[in-house]
Amino acid sequence: MRFASGLIGLFTSLARFGTGLSFAVLIVSVLVQVTGRLIGDSPVWTEELSRFALLYLVAFGVGLSLRSGDLVNVDVISESLPGRVPWLLRLLSALITVGMALYVLPQAWRYTVIGGMQTSPALYVRMDLIHLTMFLLLLILALFGGLRVIGMLSGTVDGRPHRPEEE
Amino acid sequence: MGVTVLFTVFVGGLIIGLPVAITLGVSSLVYLLVAGIPVVVMPQKMYAGMDSFVLLSIPGFILAGKLMNQGGITHRIIRFASALVGWIRGGLGLTNIAASMLFGGITGTAVADAASIGGVMIPGMKKAGYPLDFSAAVTAASSTVGPIIPPSVPMIIVGALSGISVGQMFLAGAIPGILMGVAMMITAYIISVRRKFPREPWGGTSEVVRAFGGAFWALAMTFLIIYGLLSGLATPTETAVVASIYAFIVGAFVYRELPLRKLPAIIVESAVAAAGILALVGFANVFGWILVSERIPQAIAEGVLSLTQNKFLVILIINLVLLFVGMFMETIAALIILFVPLQQLAQAVGIDPVHFATFAVLNLMIGLTTPPVGVCLFVCSGIAREPLTRVIAAIFPFLVTNILVLLLVSYIPAISTWLPTVLMR
Repeated sequence: MRFASGLIGLFTSLARFGTGLSFAVLIVSVLVQVTGRLIGDSPVWTEELSRFALLYLVAFGVGLSLRSGDLVNVDVISESLPGRVPWLLRLLSALITVGMALYVLPQAWRYTVIGGMQTSPALYVRMDLIHLTMFLLLLILALFGGLRVIGMLSGTVDGRPHRPEEE
Repeated sequence: MGVTVLFTVFVGGLIIGLPVAITLGVSSLVYLLVAGIPVVVMPQKMYAGMDSFVLLSIPGFILAGKLMNQGGITHRIIRFASALVGWIRGGLGLTNIAASMLFGGITGTAVADAASIGGVMIPGMKKAGYPLDFSAAVTAASSTVGPIIPPSVPMIIVGALSGISVGQMFLAGAIPGILMGVAMMITAYIISVRRKFPREPWGGTSEVVRAFGGAFWALAMTFLIIYGLLSGLATPTETAVVASIYAFIVGAFVYRELPLRKLPAIIVESAVAAAGILALVGFANVFGWILVSERIPQAIAEGVLSLTQNKFLVILIINLVLLFVGMFMETIAALIILFVPLQQLAQAVGIDPVHFATFAVLNLMIGLTTPPVGVCLFVCSGIAREPLTRVIAAIFPFLVTNILVLLLVSYIPAISTWLPTVLMR
């Protein structure tokens, strides 16, 4: 049980760091853009960097949004069922999430590799580094889905959305 | 066959409580497998959906709203709203609605509005002798004006889906939002007179001026955003980031209520909320691509047009579909799935895209306060600790009012198109 909660805590902290860092890059990039505009010399790469930062923000943040319910839970029917059924459905949902993400993962890697043949027009970044965000997104989704399964089976979490302010 | 599987898995996923974004992903995946389409399409379409210049502004607007929310705007806005309308019969109910209109212009989200204003107003109204069901109902109903009055995340999503500029969409929502707020105030006033609710003492013009002074820096953010977008000086993303910096300065140094130690958590929470919306957009883009490749939008348009080509009836049908779906589904998910198919139908009978987009968003906002899935209804009944059924009964007059406003906005295009036409000519 302690191992499960430690694991969840570790990956949550890492994902929060990645999400926050991506958002910081986005904000700084946009501020450089605005400042550049004001002094009459706006760099061409800022818009591209902010778009890429947004993709990394989603990739790192998707697991946390699964955890917080920000992927939008419509659980009126499932939660109104009697006994342990809601718990079982939450477990099934987590398993389906893991299954879907893992199934698409090899194809996301294929998509990443395809990106290696392209370069971004402003930053000259190899696009496989950007397409990688889709692979990361599915990997992190599978990871957080898996952590929910482990957490539920070990009794650490009940599988309901977990808002940070509740911590 | 493929489409049947797509919708069966989608509905099944929602029933078992799978998050909407994941349901969209799973149903799309099953469709691709059944139809024999390479699954690599899925990451490709997800990427295409999320790599959008317009959507870039979403995290910034969420952050600006959260910073303002934590920076002490709630009680300043309530005080200003109270100074303006508190002296009228049922004054606290009217204050609640006016505060939601002002608050919506800052945070742009209904749930944040319901939680923040409800947290202060519901206990305050109870203390002043208002029944809890009315207090919760008025808070929930008025919170829906938030995403109609600019800024608004659903309006940004519409901009991304339709190619209409975000500035145009923001302006299109301004008059319908104000109209909805005023109509709810009239409803609250009528109920208050009939049920003899109290009124607050008139504090005088000086109190209005003082309260305005207190709320000025928060209210100015809405104008900063509108000016940024209209002047052409900044893109929506730049406006959103500048608004965040502004909100930080106001919260930390002007109001001095924003706890700086909370800043990293606020930034991460805003990013996580944005990640959830964008992941939803990504998965929905795969789903939407399937709908388009299966010619579902055309089929819907042809099906409805074979029944009637009367613009009046088509608007009614679109509204009924959206109201029904909005009762069960979350706003943004419903918007992403239904917007493109219904837009095709709207265009076929000559409905202006900005007009259509505005009444579609307004319609789905009403869904936030309808049973069985009305998030704002849940939040307010939770704060009031009042049974959901009593709050649902109390919200009924406000629902009728909002539907009447929806009909006005649906059948008088100028309500939504006049402001963007005049200011963005």
